[in-house]
Amino acid sequence: MKTPFVAARLSLALVWLLIAGPLLAQEERELLPVTGTYAITPVTIIQSPGRSIDKGTVIVKDGLIKAVGKNIPVPPEAIVLKGDSLYVYAGFIDGLSHVGVNKPNNENRDRVKDPGNPPPDRAGIAPQTDVRNFLNPTDKAVEELRAVGFTTAHVVPHGGMLPGTGALVWLGGRSADDMVLQSQTSFFSTLATADRVYPVTVIGVIAKWRELYRQAAQAKAYATTYASARNGLKPASTDRVLEAFYPVIDKKMPVLFQAEKALDLHRVLDLQKGLGFPLVVAEVKEGWDVAPKLKAANAKVFLSLQLPEEKKEEKKDEPLKSMSAQEKEALDKRKAEFAAKYTGQAAAFQKAGVPFGFSALQVKAGDIRGNLRKMIKAGLTEDQALAALTTTPAQLLGVSDLLGSVDAGKVANLVVTRKPYFDEKSVVHYVFVNGILYKMDLGAAKKEAAKVALEGEWTVTSETPQGKSEALLTIKKEGTQLTGTVSADFLPQPVTLDTLTYEGNVLKFSFVMNQDGRNIKVEVEAKVEGSTFKGEATLDGGDKLPVQGQQKPKP
Amino acid sequence: MLVTLPALGQQTGNMLIRNATVLTITKGTQANTDVLIKDGKIAQVGKSLTAPTGYTVQDATGMFVMPGIIDAHSHQGIDAINEWTAPVTAEVAVGDAINPFDVALYRALAGGVTTIHAMHGSANAIGGQCQTLKLRYGVLEPEALRMQGAPRTIKFALGENPTRVHGGGNNIVPRTRMGVEFVMREAFSKAKAYAAAVDTYTKAKTQKGFRGAPPEYNYRLETLAEILKGNIIIHCHSYRADEIYMMLQVCKDFGIKKIVFQHVNEGFKVAPELAAYGAMASVFADWWAYKFEVYYSTAYNAAILTRNGVTTSINSDDPELMRHLYHEAGKTQKYGALSDDEALALITLNPAKQLGIDHRVGSIEVGKDADLVIFQNHPLSVYGVPQVTIVDGVVRFDRTKDADDMRLAVDPNEPVEAVELQQRDHDSCLEGLDGAFDTIFGLN
Repeated sequence: MKTPFVAARLSLALVWLLIAGPLLAQEERELLPVTGTYAITPVTIIQSPGRSIDKGTVIVKDGLIKAVGKNIPVPPEAIVLKGDSLYVYAGFIDGLSHVGVNKPNNENRDRVKDPGNPPPDRAGIAPQTDVRNFLNPTDKAVEELRAVGFTTAHVVPHGGMLPGTGALVWLGGRSADDMVLQSQTSFFSTLATADRVYPVTVIGVIAKWRELYRQAAQAKAYATTYASARNGLKPASTDRVLEAFYPVIDKKMPVLFQAEKALDLHRVLDLQKGLGFPLVVAEVKEGWDVAPKLKAANAKVFLSLQLPEEKKEEKKDEPLKSMSAQEKEALDKRKAEFAAKYTGQAAAFQKAGVPFGFSALQVKAGDIRGNLRKMIKAGLTEDQALAALTTTPAQLLGVSDLLGSVDAGKVANLVVTRKPYFDEKSVVHYVFVNGILYKMDLGAAKKEAAKVALEGEWTVTSETPQGKSEALLTIKKEGTQLTGTVSADFLPQPVTLDTLTYEGNVLKFSFVMNQDGRNIKVEVEAKVEGSTFKGEATLDGGDKLPVQGQQKPKP
Repeated sequence: MLVTLPALGQQTGNMLIRNATVLTITKGTQANTDVLIKDGKIAQVGKSLTAPTGYTVQDATGMFVMPGIIDAHSHQGIDAINEWTAPVTAEVAVGDAINPFDVALYRALAGGVTTIHAMHGSANAIGGQCQTLKLRYGVLEPEALRMQGAPRTIKFALGENPTRVHGGGNNIVPRTRMGVEFVMREAFSKAKAYAAAVDTYTKAKTQKGFRGAPPEYNYRLETLAEILKGNIIIHCHSYRADEIYMMLQVCKDFGIKKIVFQHVNEGFKVAPELAAYGAMASVFADWWAYKFEVYYSTAYNAAILTRNGVTTSINSDDPELMRHLYHEAGKTQKYGALSDDEALALITLNPAKQLGIDHRVGSIEVGKDADLVIFQNHPLSVYGVPQVTIVDGVVRFDRTKDADDMRLAVDPNEPVEAVELQQRDHDSCLEGLDGAFDTIFGLN
């Protein structure tokens, strides 16, 4: 008997038959590198802040840094990366982000009958969630963050006040499990309120937090009593939410609070003072006055890499229009005074003697290097900035034996740049994550993108044993906007593309075609090289098929 | 212009105020008198006092000095007001969300206010706990605004607000005034049972060889039990006399003695009953008709309550009104012919009693906190203007050093806020419910 699922699969296959005929699997296999050994030489090695080797050699073997120094013999099996005029640093560590973490898409938004008593997940209470269930190594953000030199990130699930536990992950890997260095590293929390259910205010969130902690402490104590002699006793609670608190109560797992604003920090510190859990605060943006208090509470700190955007002048703000020039000047001066505090936050923490790392939760990857330079301009030294990206976060996360410096025996997480990293003209060339080499060919890709003129007609084919299926892609440029159509024998009439983008050297387009009364969404993503492209088509977000394109010579 | 803020972090000061007309509230009006402040406390009140070295001297010749004004009903200086989601939310506390950057606090200082009762809203029959704040504007630490040692207080609400939000909006009890009474009686009954169960368990635990499960920790009932023990003062949002009387019966049945009614527009109808119970009243001078239950009102309310022996205060419930509570107090001389001391007590000593802090503030007496306002002209005159406001001996407002921009925190990304001082088209007690508009009015 055909199940509906099978039927759907069959009809999908039928659709593809029309386009390409049935396929034999012809996957593009990712080949393992011929060797796991690399030598970068001769290269300037910044082993850790303040410790460097001129014209040295770094040997990477099977995921680890094998040797670092001058006059080190290059093993015969090594791939040699010529390091003249290059600099090598330890891979950077991000203290808090959602990079490579999928957002759950089954969010339940039905109206709750009694908003005062919602199910825990609706209230944002899901501390039993493990971020490992949502890891996705193909998330674009992984690649973006890696491209600026990050190799490790402390990632947490999406959610409300208690989203779940975090993990320390590599920014690379073939599978979710492949990404994980350590799991259950933190009990993530925010002061986020719930949507129209309790707790809808920050005071509700704090009260709920206290109540859950105290209930958990009580349940945990009773569970111990119960376990010692069960007969005659009411069974102990197995509440998943409360159980998730147990390692926190034992002080075996820190609570990691996202606390951006000064008042968030005060509130979190107040909560911590009352309950006594080990505390990490991350994505801190306004902590300059709170640094001594954080120090006193023995809290670990990750400062946000995001800075206030510099507003372009002459943005039309209604209230400003009516202001006298003098008044506007005074207000702008105060804004500038505070903008400087945000930029100078890292330097202020340094001055206060509070060790800190950085977190990339909200910053755009492309802004990170510029923001670091701003912080350096505001008083942080380059060594201090480097420490906050490498050695300090390694310490704060308890992995300084594995990460944070270029030393033999540590994991091969490396960033190789042309010109020193904090130089404005510096370019990241290679990044090693857990021994795997990623070549950053950004400059070349940009050049390629500039060269290619997409406009014109492309023959799009899918090679199958039954022969070729062919379609014609026509791309037009209207102003700066690209538009396109697809026509083919199997399409009754040309279909206009719904989306068409070209970034880097990646061409993406999508369209919907109707087959037997059924709409099928086709999404194509392909890499363009000169007048050809190669990539994949995804059908209705499911089945994938290889596609190729060849630009027709222009008349 | 140079922005001068009070020395950050400074909590108490030393000062001599010279040659003022001192309105003590409790010990009459004393002309040509000095007030000596040491370590934030009033050390001496008398004539021709000398300032020890290091003391600042404030000449107040021709000026009036009165105790700092106390607003028994405000929603300023806190970031969250209404946890409206349940009819009973006793466990939440606005003290967890103090905002020392709220510029309304500075504006209030400019109106002579030194202490406010920052309250939870009135969306729930039993709302959250409130917080008594000292307006030490200039400190950056939320904790520094908290008036240490002030008794705990909690917001209750009767009438249209809780019935509209829960019954009307969410179709849960209470939908009616009867429902509100039921919610309160049920909550107290549960709290009583909870406290008893905790007591039993605590006692049993001390017995040798005891094995058993504790009653599950419940923050809400824990808090309600504190009310029953007399450790938390109820501040009850109310308008109608029948409900006020109902609430007195509930308190009586559960042995609760400490209750202050807020708004109490029909308090004049039950003034003797309030006085007999020892309940207090915090009212508006002359504000009403903003919803159906607030039509039967009179500007004589404060005077009638006062004459009947009810400890009465006049409050603002509003950031703008808060800046001229001395005008509001003055209205009771037009409507009710209260004496100067009686009128001023409405915004000083009486609210202090209602917050349980009258041994610390509310009058000018040796040993009390040096929370003072220096006025040009008598504060009950329409020409009265606060010049200097002092909290714990520290000048927090000085009219001669009042810069244009007194904000303590500036968001570089925010456009400049449009200042609206007059925004009283509803009562602030339901603030924070904008998102729940459809819930309240049942639009979906």
